[in-house]
Amino acid sequence: MARHETAGSLAVERPGTGRRLRVMRRRRDALMLAAPLVLFLGLWLGFPFLTNLVYSVSQVNFETLRAPSFIGLDNYARAIQDPAFWGAMGFSLRFAVAATLAQVLLGLVIALALRPLLVRHKALMALILLPLMISPALIGVMYRLILNEFVGVVPQYLAMVGLYPNLLGPDWVFATVVAIEVLQWTPFAILLLFTALQSIPTELYDAARVDGAGPWQCFWRITLPLLVPGLAITGFVRFIDSFRVFDHIFVLTGGGPGSLTTSVSIYIYRSFFQQQQLGSAVATSMVLLVLSLAALYASMRLMLRKGEA
Amino acid sequence: MTTRIGTLALTAGAAIALATGAARADVTLLFWPGPESEAMQQVIDAFNEGPGAEAGFEVNQLLFSRQGYFDKQIADLAAGSTEFDLSLVTTYTLGRYAPFLLPIDDYLPDDVGELYAPVALDSLSFDGSLYGVPTDISAHFAFYRSDLMDQLLADPDWQARYAEIAEAHLGEAMAPVPPAEWTWDDYVATTLFFTQAVNPDSPTRFGAALQLKNLIFNIMIWQSTLVSHGGDWMTAGGDVTVDSDAAARGLEIFQTIIDAGATPPGSINYEFGEANQAFGTGQSATMLQWNAAYNIVNDPEQMPVTAGNIGVAPMPAGPEGNRTHTHSLGIGLNAASENADQAGEFLAYLASEEAMRIYGAAGGTPPMPRVLADMADARPEFPLVGEFVDQYGFVVTGGTAATAVPMYEVLAESFSSVWGGQSTIEDALADAQTRIEELMAQ
Repeated sequence: MARHETAGSLAVERPGTGRRLRVMRRRRDALMLAAPLVLFLGLWLGFPFLTNLVYSVSQVNFETLRAPSFIGLDNYARAIQDPAFWGAMGFSLRFAVAATLAQVLLGLVIALALRPLLVRHKALMALILLPLMISPALIGVMYRLILNEFVGVVPQYLAMVGLYPNLLGPDWVFATVVAIEVLQWTPFAILLLFTALQSIPTELYDAARVDGAGPWQCFWRITLPLLVPGLAITGFVRFIDSFRVFDHIFVLTGGGPGSLTTSVSIYIYRSFFQQQQLGSAVATSMVLLVLSLAALYASMRLMLRKGEA
Repeated sequence: MTTRIGTLALTAGAAIALATGAARADVTLLFWPGPESEAMQQVIDAFNEGPGAEAGFEVNQLLFSRQGYFDKQIADLAAGSTEFDLSLVTTYTLGRYAPFLLPIDDYLPDDVGELYAPVALDSLSFDGSLYGVPTDISAHFAFYRSDLMDQLLADPDWQARYAEIAEAHLGEAMAPVPPAEWTWDDYVATTLFFTQAVNPDSPTRFGAALQLKNLIFNIMIWQSTLVSHGGDWMTAGGDVTVDSDAAARGLEIFQTIIDAGATPPGSINYEFGEANQAFGTGQSATMLQWNAAYNIVNDPEQMPVTAGNIGVAPMPAGPEGNRTHTHSLGIGLNAASENADQAGEFLAYLASEEAMRIYGAAGGTPPMPRVLADMADARPEFPLVGEFVDQYGFVVTGGTAATAVPMYEVLAESFSSVWGGQSTIEDALADAQTRIEELMAQ
């Protein structure tokens, strides 16, 4: 009996052991395959992250980079209590919402309108994407000239129709910097939304047409619902990117007039390099990271739910 | 045979050792691309062919891009980089860099104090030591259209109109005076007279081209109003004095010009280039500007409207007379340098009249009054730079401190909000005072 049991248990264990071995091998292979990426991330993201974490709870400047002194959560408290930080957060949020909405809407309209052309002439997409290849700082320099009231093109055209707005003055500066962001990055939205449009099976449209649906109904009942994940991803990517805007605004307005166009990135840059508040600047960027992760988590959950539905 | 090979090997080894000993390590100068480094290259070439060749080493430049240059440099200095021995230093970043630089007094010849304008040496001194050889000096001029000012000073009709405008806006019927005698009131009256919104017969649309962008360099221009009214950033003891009558008066002067529409509406985002465009295209009759603009607005190819009709005067006078902010660019010595002695030899050469003449001829503005005066034919504004810096130049108290840039930042943001209409003068000064006191406390 005992032998039986032993034999039986052996007979049972053999296949189990094999499965375990296979699982272990698979895990080992998976770990080995993931190791380079994990090492890379550990080195290039993990180390700076840990350094930032240390600096964010330390009193530190350029002289004490290697010997920061621990001060607890003072930097976080200072960042959160600074009205300038919340002013910058408010600007970044308004900027990101306005720019994202405009880019997604404009991108959708252009992608829909140009879809037949883009399907036939794929090279056209390369032309549409040209603005993305210009550095945002250079865009800022270009617009300093384009918007110059004496030698700029835009004020000259506006003057021809009797309009003399000060496009970088307090009344118009927000709209101007949003418009510049939209002009540069809408092509990216077009690319993503065109790709999403192409993934919608044409059979659905054929069937709808057979059932008597018109173009408007096809758009509302087929295109838009199936485009929701694409719109969400486009909106999310553009929101994150617009939220951390820095280059063209810094070059154009320096964050002014006053602090009217100071984004969170400009606030952090100024705190770090120009005001030498290294700890406070790093703490602010950690707060920003937490907020971004929360937004990422919420939007991913939303998208996954939509996908499951 | 074995003995011969051994002898050869020993000889070769000795030769290599001697050669290694004779050739001293080269020196690297970290700089930014542009006219300054191009001019510096001429000096370096002269050094490498002369004293450098004799001493057995060369100097080479390593260029970082200008965008964010100082941020990259401070990061490298703080990291103790040995990739460069010398680097660019400026008046306003000196205090921040000083912990990572070596004092250079001992490397320079004794007569250096006689060659340079004293304010130039002061502007690169920190805690009693010199940290950079001054290579370029910057100061401010009141630029004006000489053709228009000549007419104003000669035409009785214009003068009568000028008096009316001054009385209406400034409460006193003033008479125009030559720009060299301008007080701030004269300057404001002149800008109003040359503004079409105030004087529809004005030949220019605007009287001034102020630079009001949220930028530290614009505060440097503005603070001539502060210091000429007896103000300063702080006392010698470190008490912050930004919230003062002098500062309020300085802000009022700019605000009067802004409120009257005497500076273009876009001025709120003007910096060096935009002001030059407004003045150089004939839209503005005057501008308060860096001396470096002279060559641009007086160049017939770049600015055909104004070239040949440019006058320059000291910044207008307050109760304390004419005053101009002054700062220097210079070359400092990296504390982590492994070639400090060689770098010091180059600095000694750089501080000579010979080197500064080469630098000036190649486009720089060396702060040696004698060199500037001798170059009047090639650069007509040079003698004035030397004269103005010598007579009217100032460095605000705390202007070379580690907190100088953060303080400029606070002033730029606070005052830009006044000029943009989001804050009052009183609130902005109180805010700036509080924030600077906090900075000092930290």
